[in-house]
Amino acid sequence: MTSKERRVVIVPCSGIGKPFGTVSREAAYEVCETLRPDETQLVALSKLVLGEEEACRRVDSSPAITIDGCKLMCAASLVKLRAGTIVSEVAVLDVFRRHKDLKPEGIAELNEAGQQLARVVAREIAATIDQVHQAETGGGADHA
Amino acid sequence: MGTVTRLAALRVLHDLRPGRTVTICLPLFLAGGEGDRAFARFHPTITVDGCELRCAARGTERHSGPPTASIVVDALVAEHGLPTPEGRRNLNQAGLEAVEVTAQRLVELVDDVLGAEGPLRDSPGETVPLTRRNAQATTCSCGSSAPVTTLIVDGTEVVLLALPLIFRRFFEAGRRVDDPAVARDLVETTKIYNQIPSGAADRYRDAILREYAAFCEREAAR
Repeated sequence: MTSKERRVVIVPCSGIGKPFGTVSREAAYEVCETLRPDETQLVALSKLVLGEEEACRRVDSSPAITIDGCKLMCAASLVKLRAGTIVSEVAVLDVFRRHKDLKPEGIAELNEAGQQLARVVAREIAATIDQVHQAETGGGADHA
Repeated sequence: MGTVTRLAALRVLHDLRPGRTVTICLPLFLAGGEGDRAFARFHPTITVDGCELRCAARGTERHSGPPTASIVVDALVAEHGLPTPEGRRNLNQAGLEAVEVTAQRLVELVDDVLGAEGPLRDSPGETVPLTRRNAQATTCSCGSSAPVTTLIVDGTEVVLLALPLIFRRFFEAGRRVDDPAVARDLVETTKIYNQIPSGAADRYRDAILREYAAFCEREAAR
């Protein structure tokens, strides 16, 4: 298996009705395009559910991190339904509870607080990805 | 293309046809959200897809029946001779043009559907809810929902999905409460969207029929 196939799969919510759904998508883009572009691959939830070959292969062969915008946790549920390996189920609402000052508003265009919340979510996911790769390579903390 | 579909749908929902359109949450719909699936069975549904995979259209067809109309953005972009949109987070100019073109096509389809269904088109600006909701309506990140009704069966509250929509269909078809076949047909239709415990069908039938009688009275009094 190539290293590309072992990239961590990021599966965000794709709802368009509330700002938290937009935060989940924005966080996914932040991780996949900015923070960990070489270590992640984005998978569209709808492709996965409808059995698109490439999306299914990615989820079948790589660890996944799901990002959900509401308590129904569609992304996590659907990856589990596919029997994918989820290393972290991220709920944007949980992150928001720890950062109440970052109240997201706007769906088509997030306000600054929403964008900051997305960046917080993304940084936490990047840390999880680092842990996954450390565990896979057997790496630990550097020492003399 | 996915970003174009989302922004075009939001433009119609929020700016161009607010109050006359609602969105169904595709992930919830595909994950088994019975409320949303029932909603799409009862309401005209227009799907907006980014590419030829047509996930929204295929999902709708699979779970709720063929959509009333479908848009595929990349075909629409080609039809209008626009450059390919780029930038998932921040669309380029071509992407913004694609949003407008898609939104306008969507509006045409919405107006066609609503115009064919009745007088909504003649009252621009008036907010017309597509469904009656209550506090117990199932909701998701998309904010979509199908109506739920609480009935008392054997002294216990039970929540049933889509009853007002079923009642309206029966009422508009002229199905009378005193027709013996109506009770049976109401239960059968209700079972499509709800679990009715085996052995309790008679008691559910009585409760549903009472609710339908009340619905008919309200409609007749209008």
